[in-house]
Amino acid sequence: MSKSDMERLKEEYMNIEIPKELDFMVKKAIKDGLKKNYKKNRYKWMAGAAASAVIFTASLNASPAFANALSGVPVVGNIVKVLTFREYKLQEDTYNADIKVPAIEGLEDEKLQSSLNEKYLEENKKLYEDFTAEIEELKKNGGGHMGVDSGYQIKTDNERILAIGRYVVNTVGSSSTVFKYDTIDKKNQILITLPSLFKDESYVDIISENIKIQMREQMKEDEGKTYWVSDAGMENPIEPFERISNEQSFYINDDSKLVISFDKYEVAPGYMGVIEFVIPTEAIKDILAGDEYIK
Amino acid sequence: MGHKLLDKLLEENIIDNKEKYYRLAFSYVKNADDALDILQESIYKAFTGIGKIQNPEYIKTWFYRIVVNTSIDFLRKNKKAVAVDSDILESHIKAEEDLYEDIDLHRAIETLKPDYKSIIILRYFEDLKIEEVAEILGENVNTIKTRLYRALKLLRVQMEENI
Repeated sequence: MSKSDMERLKEEYMNIEIPKELDFMVKKAIKDGLKKNYKKNRYKWMAGAAASAVIFTASLNASPAFANALSGVPVVGNIVKVLTFREYKLQEDTYNADIKVPAIEGLEDEKLQSSLNEKYLEENKKLYEDFTAEIEELKKNGGGHMGVDSGYQIKTDNERILAIGRYVVNTVGSSSTVFKYDTIDKKNQILITLPSLFKDESYVDIISENIKIQMREQMKEDEGKTYWVSDAGMENPIEPFERISNEQSFYINDDSKLVISFDKYEVAPGYMGVIEFVIPTEAIKDILAGDEYIK
Repeated sequence: MGHKLLDKLLEENIIDNKEKYYRLAFSYVKNADDALDILQESIYKAFTGIGKIQNPEYIKTWFYRIVVNTSIDFLRKNKKAVAVDSDILESHIKAEEDLYEDIDLHRAIETLKPDYKSIIILRYFEDLKIEEVAEILGENVNTIKTRLYRALKLLRVQMEENI
C-alpha cells in the first residue's frame, strides 16, 4: 500500500456522484433555515416525480406560496405504502391553505397506482388553483377570511385492504368537510367500488334502511345527536335522508366491515361533522357478491 | 457579530461547499437519499445554532462537524451497517483481487470505526489540516494524530508523507 493507493481512494471519493437534486435541496433548506421557524420536514428528494408534478411545483414556487415536497408519514405493510407526496402551503394574513397530496407506493399494478396518484395530484392541484382564484376574487371585494385544508387518513391497512380517506376542509366563515375514499385490494391489486361488492342494485335500499335504523337508534340513545331522518321525533326535517347514492363514500375497515360515510351537512347538522356508519354484515350478507372483503 | 452577517456567511459557505458536504455525508450512509436528508438536517441545525459562533473563521469546520455528527447519529439510529455475507464477500475478493486492488482498501476504510473513518476522509480526501480535523471532531490535535496513525496502521498504509 502506497501513497498512490490513497490517491486512488481519494479519486474514488471525489467521484461520488452528485445528485441533481442537491442544488435545489440546499437552496430550499437555506431558505427555510434563514426563517428559523421552519417545521421539520423530511423531504423525499429522490421521488422521481412525474413531469406534471415538477411543473406544478415550479408554478407554485413562482407564486407567493411555497411548495413542500416531503415524505414521511409512513404507514403500513412493508410493500404497499402511502406517503405524503407533496405539501402545498399558503399563509397570507387571512388566507391559508394546507394541502397534502398522498401517494401510493409499492403496488405491483403500476397502472392502477399511477392513475390513483395522478388523480390525487390533479384533485389537489385543482383545489389549490380554485382556492387561489377565490382569494383573488375576495381581495377584489375587500377581503375576508378563507382557508382550505386537505390531507388524508389511512383508514385501513391490513394484509388485504388499503383504504385511504382524503379530506378537504373549506373554511369560509364556517367550514365544510368532504371525505373521499379509495379502497384497494392489495392482493388482487384492484380498486374496490361500492357496486362491485354486491350482486345487484338492491344494496342501495338495504343499506339505506339500515342506516335510517341506526340514525333513529342513536338519536334515541343520545339526545345530543341529530340526523335529518324521518320518524325520529323530529318535526319534519326539511330534506330527510332517503337513500345513499350508488357511489356513496365508503371503505372497508380493519374488521372487514363495510363503512358508509357522509360529508358534513349531508345527513345531519354541521356540528355532527363527518359521519360514518358501520353496516352490520348480517344486514347485507344475502346480497354480497362474495365474502372475500366483507365478513 | 450580528446574526444577519453570520447567516450570510453561513449561506455562502454552504453553497460554495455543498458538494464536499454531500460527499462527506454520502461516505457514511452510502445512499443519495439519506445523504440529502442528512445535509438538509445539518443546514437546519446550522442556522439554528449559528448564534453560538464567535469567530466566523470557524464556520467551515463547524459545519463539517455538524455533518459528521448528523451522519453518525443517523447511522446509530438506523443501524444501517452494510452487512455482506462472508461467503459472498470471500468469493468476490478472490475473484477480483487482482483486477481491483483498491477495492480491498476501500472496504478496509468502511470497516474502520466512524471516528477513524472521519479522520481519514477529512485529512486525505478533504485535504484539511490536522488542526482543522481536530476542531471538527472536537478533539485535541495530539489525539487526532494518534488516531490517524492508528487508522493508517489498521489500513496497513505506509504513507510516505509526515503526519
